[in-house]
Amino acid sequence: MTTATDVTAPAAVEPVVAPPPRRRRRTPVTWVRHGGLTTLLFFVPLLLSFGYFSWWPILRSLVLSLQQTNFLTSTWVGLANFQRVLADPLLGTAVWNTTYFSLLAVVIGFPIPILTAVFLAEMRRTRGLGSALAYLPVIIPPVVAVLLWKAFYDPSENGLFNTILGWFGVGPIAWLNDPDLVIPSLVLYATWAGFGTGVIIYLATLMTIRTELYEAAEIDGARILRRFWHVTLPQMRGILLIMLLLQLIGTFQTFTEPYIMTGGGPENRSLTILLLIYRYAFVAGDYGRATALSLLLAVALSLLSGLYMWATRRWSTS
Amino acid sequence: MTPIRRRTALALAATFTVGALAACSQGGGTPADGGGESADVDTEAAVTISVGNMPTTENPELRADFERKLEAFTEAYPNITVEPEETEWAADTWNALIAGGTMPNVISAPFTEIQSMIARQQVADVTDYLGESEVFSSLNPSVLAVAQADDRTYAVPTSAWTMGLLYNRDLFEQAGLDPDAPPQTWDEVRTAAQAIQEKTDAQGFLTMTLDNTGGWVLTTMSYAFGSTLQNEDGTEATIVNDATAGVLDYYQQLRWEDITMGSNFLVNYDDAVQLFASGQVGMFVQGADNYTNMVVKNGMDPQHFGVAPLPQQPNGLGTLSGGNLAVFSPTSTPEQLAAAVKWVEFRDFRKYTDEDIAVAEAEAAAADGVAVGEPALPVVDRSVYDQWLSWVEPYINVPRENFDLYLSTVEDVTLVPEPPVKAQELYNTLDSVVQAVLTREDADTDELLQTAQDTFQSALDLG
Repeated sequence: MTTATDVTAPAAVEPVVAPPPRRRRRTPVTWVRHGGLTTLLFFVPLLLSFGYFSWWPILRSLVLSLQQTNFLTSTWVGLANFQRVLADPLLGTAVWNTTYFSLLAVVIGFPIPILTAVFLAEMRRTRGLGSALAYLPVIIPPVVAVLLWKAFYDPSENGLFNTILGWFGVGPIAWLNDPDLVIPSLVLYATWAGFGTGVIIYLATLMTIRTELYEAAEIDGARILRRFWHVTLPQMRGILLIMLLLQLIGTFQTFTEPYIMTGGGPENRSLTILLLIYRYAFVAGDYGRATALSLLLAVALSLLSGLYMWATRRWSTS
Repeated sequence: MTPIRRRTALALAATFTVGALAACSQGGGTPADGGGESADVDTEAAVTISVGNMPTTENPELRADFERKLEAFTEAYPNITVEPEETEWAADTWNALIAGGTMPNVISAPFTEIQSMIARQQVADVTDYLGESEVFSSLNPSVLAVAQADDRTYAVPTSAWTMGLLYNRDLFEQAGLDPDAPPQTWDEVRTAAQAIQEKTDAQGFLTMTLDNTGGWVLTTMSYAFGSTLQNEDGTEATIVNDATAGVLDYYQQLRWEDITMGSNFLVNYDDAVQLFASGQVGMFVQGADNYTNMVVKNGMDPQHFGVAPLPQQPNGLGTLSGGNLAVFSPTSTPEQLAAAVKWVEFRDFRKYTDEDIAVAEAEAAAADGVAVGEPALPVVDRSVYDQWLSWVEPYINVPRENFDLYLSTVEDVTLVPEPPVKAQELYNTLDSVVQAVLTREDADTDELLQTAQDTFQSALDLG
């Protein structure tokens, strides 16, 4: 982008130096002279790659959601795929599980990185080491990490977590095998796996808060909690709102954890919306239903995002 | 994210390849009139074929065996260039292979899939190419029938299996049981599980529960207890039946009364294989053709591997069986189909008719540590199979004496095929039934079966 700006810059300033007569129109020649070709040249790869890999598949999935297909022959079925998705009793289960996962992930997973970042920001000497350690889980490939945690969650007395709990006379706990604990267990893993990224982003934001604000607050007699509440949080508001939205969207698309750890079990108690889409497509071979549910999810997330933006804008202006 | 990427790829690939597939499928092996005639193909012309199922580098012995066969094949047929791929059939990638036009000219697929592949025109008709081969005439007709529709043949069966009771002979000895007299009734299985649980560190019995395996085994057990789970033409689900309820009761007894099924009930195929091969499980129901999987791939002591015929209740229907077949891409040219059929013949069947080849292959395989003479259900006539066994006898490195009961009865067992329609969806629906019984002591089996019945019936109704 910088290069593009640099290239077009000399052309762009030309009119300022010598303003063209008013009746002179933009012709292809002037467009080329003003760097239009160069701009286009830089734009084309972006357009092609986004078009080919993102926008076209989105259009295709829209078409697929209205068809029944085996990729050799396709039949138009109207909104039948959507009706079948909405009539599936597992949809309610998947929506409930996913919402529960998301809410729990917000309650548990959202504050932890903020507090860790605030804590690290106060540590002047070991901040680098601390943030590196916090980021470490993110470096482990998700599949490896999930498999590791699957072993940690071994429900027998010899499982890692159950061994530790055993030292305190607790357990053994069935973890992923317990229908009531399976979602909280997955959230615990997701929090561990994702909090490093949050810490780094929050820490970077914290470093940009001007120290004068804290000094002024201190002079006014504010203690640490009031300083956090009245200075730190308001200064981080923008990034907090964005991160919360991203987390909501991300958790509503949870797939890897239940896919590898539980396969949606026990008894579909960890079946998420994306896992249901996967089952439609790759167990039932029904791409129509899979794309229909994908689109429904996309619409729901768009509405959620819109509502969220509207609500937070009101909040921030008040 | 995987499904979205896959779907994206599918959507893209579908757009660009549907036309090509449709166009090519007309040229690929469209039969002449009648069956068994030779196709009009120039077999001397230079041709390149892609073949799937090359073993991955994680299995060096099997890969070496494959490469040796490939080298010998190239020597025998210098005009055929073979491009091997590690591509394998999988339920979740098959449609992508078809849609993307990346299906190899020949690849292995399970018995359960072939009829729907034929119906969707996803595989080539190879009837006219098999006629040229004497070797294929030794194929067991009842096995070959799996690959046929309307008197045309669309695949070559290369291996067959029955379900069986796998048991760890070492744990049997430790528990004071006779490893040469494996359980032959479900009551005996229960008693043996109790003994193993009590006298060893292993769990007595295991059942898989994830990725459709729970349903697969529940279906197998239901057959053994006396019922199928859908009617013959696959239009009606028959999940609510006394036999399946009996299996769930049996699970409940082992799980909650005897406590012989361990504590983890989220177990997929690979988990189960590792648990069994490492001696942590006494018995489980699995394909009886798992010797290579357990011993060669997962390092189990050959002397510890035991396989017994699947016990049957008095009114049991028989043993669920299946197998693999070589299927051919409909986009192949006639020359490619002829070459691909030759490859399958060379790789899987020449050993049955040519003693020198049989001996050379067995010698090399044994030297590489590949199993020779493992328990299996022969796809060729018994006499042909026995002849092959006698040829390779000096190189048999599998303790066949340990499988006496299985080997002596395998051909008398009534074989029951997998459910004809939407088998994977049925298994997937039943997974949660099995999980419920194993994770909730108060699980109401009648209610679970009724819910599964309703769910699967609506899947069948969708067509």
